[in-house]
Amino acid sequence: MIGRWTYVVLTAVLAVAAAIWAIPHVGDDGGFVVFGGPSDGGPPLPSLSPDLLLYFPGAAQIVLLAVGVGLLVQIYSTAYLAHHPRYRSYALIIVLFLLAMIAVVGTTNLWVLLVGWEVMGLCSYLLIGHEWETGAARAGAAKAFLVTRVADLGLVLAIIVIGETYGTYDIIRAQLGESQNPQNATAIGLLVLIAVVGKSAQFPLHTWLPDAMPGPTPITALIHAATMVAAGAYLAARLFQLYAESTVVLTAMAVVAAITMLMGAVFAFVQTDLKRALAWSTVSQLAFMFAAISAGDPEAGTDHLISHGVFKALLFLGCGCVMHAVGSSALSAMGGVRRSMPVTFWTMTIGFAALAGVVPTAGFFTKDSVLHAVEQATDGDGLPTVVAYGLLVVALVTSLVTAAYATRLWLRTFFGPSPAGREAHEAPFAMTGPVVVLAVATVALSIGQPFHLGIAAVSTVISVAGIAAVVIVWRRGSTLEWAPAPLAAELRLDRPFSDWIPSLVRGVSRTVVDLDQDAVDIYPRSSAAGVTLGSRALELVQSRNVQRYATILAGGVVVLVVVGVVAS
Amino acid sequence: MSLLYPLVLSSALFGIGLYGVLARRNAVLMLLGVELMLNAVNLNLVAFDAWFADALHTGQVLTLFTITIAAAEIGLGLAIVLALFRAVRTVDVDEVGR
Repeated sequence: MIGRWTYVVLTAVLAVAAAIWAIPHVGDDGGFVVFGGPSDGGPPLPSLSPDLLLYFPGAAQIVLLAVGVGLLVQIYSTAYLAHHPRYRSYALIIVLFLLAMIAVVGTTNLWVLLVGWEVMGLCSYLLIGHEWETGAARAGAAKAFLVTRVADLGLVLAIIVIGETYGTYDIIRAQLGESQNPQNATAIGLLVLIAVVGKSAQFPLHTWLPDAMPGPTPITALIHAATMVAAGAYLAARLFQLYAESTVVLTAMAVVAAITMLMGAVFAFVQTDLKRALAWSTVSQLAFMFAAISAGDPEAGTDHLISHGVFKALLFLGCGCVMHAVGSSALSAMGGVRRSMPVTFWTMTIGFAALAGVVPTAGFFTKDSVLHAVEQATDGDGLPTVVAYGLLVVALVTSLVTAAYATRLWLRTFFGPSPAGREAHEAPFAMTGPVVVLAVATVALSIGQPFHLGIAAVSTVISVAGIAAVVIVWRRGSTLEWAPAPLAAELRLDRPFSDWIPSLVRGVSRTVVDLDQDAVDIYPRSSAAGVTLGSRALELVQSRNVQRYATILAGGVVVLVVVGVVAS
Repeated sequence: MSLLYPLVLSSALFGIGLYGVLARRNAVLMLLGVELMLNAVNLNLVAFDAWFADALHTGQVLTLFTITIAAAEIGLGLAIVLALFRAVRTVDVDEVGR
């Protein structure tokens, strides 16, 4: 027990240090910079103009979110993984992850950012595969690693293009500097889009996130809901200025966001596993952030990032409490734990309310900001008007589905009959404590959020409609198991990764092997055969018969003499 | 007397000796072949000495040396053949080499 708490203390020290650093910069446009920055010895920056989003205002909040959730997750894990044999590596990888996250958010140097970005990917891989005894964990870890690595290639290329275009690898200097090649904005934007689509599990690279669920639940809460996947949205927001002029990029991002948000929400609705449903919900909510960014309001995206980080961490940790009690993440194993787990019930209710967008949670206000940003984009400044309207409609439909699936998960988990022979019990204090803290934060973060009356009314009506519809169906005795076959199989969107690419690679490698064996190997094989034949011929000369040697010698002398006589 | 006659004779002797060394399987006869070749050379030395009319008769002197050394050499060779015969009861070089 003592051993596990040392990691909590370690994380707490890190969190306090980061907080001391970050808190003065909360809400401060002057920027939060740990590494690099304008004082790194380069040419002086031109004077700052206040109407540009030069420094990133959300960076300090994101660091606080990361270390805060990280600390809560460490506390939570002391109870959740109390008897885990590899606890030390688990806890230390979390600390490494937090350091990498601080590096990503706190730097203005793109290469430092890349290093942090890769270390986060590594930590994600290690922690998904932490319970590597199960095949699902190994497969999920490998999949996450491979998919995000493909996307990371986009980031590397984006960094190189930014360096070529602006002559600097410093984000602030690039934002202030003159672009030497304005038409590169589209290239930069598309490459950044590839990078963040992989990291944030957006369509079409979304498939790794639901498969990352075999990882320990606290890890899912920290990395695969609150922070790492959100780093993609953060990067897109941070570099927004560099590609804001490119309609192509904004349109592509809006389309990706629209597809992903609706797809994630629908898939979340049909899941039979609470954790996997929450994973799809994360995919869908991340798409909301990209919708805001593509609509030209990265701040709204960052705000939603932070509120989503808090309430989704809350939901995953609460999900972990329920799993701890019932021993499974399947919805069929849950139900009726409302009475036996009151703390988990009330905190997760707040979390689901935030997910569904119910006043007065943080999720409501930040979703409201996102919808407002998308609505503002319909004036055709930035996004094309048609795309913006399409995005708005999809976002509203997604809100409806989101409210519906949040309600469904809430009802299936806490209400209804409990499976026979199950004794649920409230989780220990080390687990409920962090959940309560996050629940308080979910409500507290709504203080001081901007509010847009028109769109707020619409979204509230939609949320209430979604919740009411599901509750009415539930009251009529339905178990809310609605999963047409193609949706239950998630439209088989996984197939390019599970079937097509592997069979392509297998085919190509078979061809290469055949080519190697048939074409390339001819050279070594024929030379070996030649050497064998040659040595057989030479073997004839080596008779071990001295007289034959002498005969050859005498014959040679005769030949030499004849040649000498003839030649002279 | 023409130089040609002794040279033809010595060539014939050398060829017979060479044939003996290469074709015979009996170690003693191979040694005899070696002696024939050696004496063909001696004959050459004497013939050229006469042909050059060398005042110091270098060729004849060298021939005497060669005969002496050939005697020593054949003694040594026969001793080896004798030892060989005692060891393996044969002087056929193919049998011995096997």
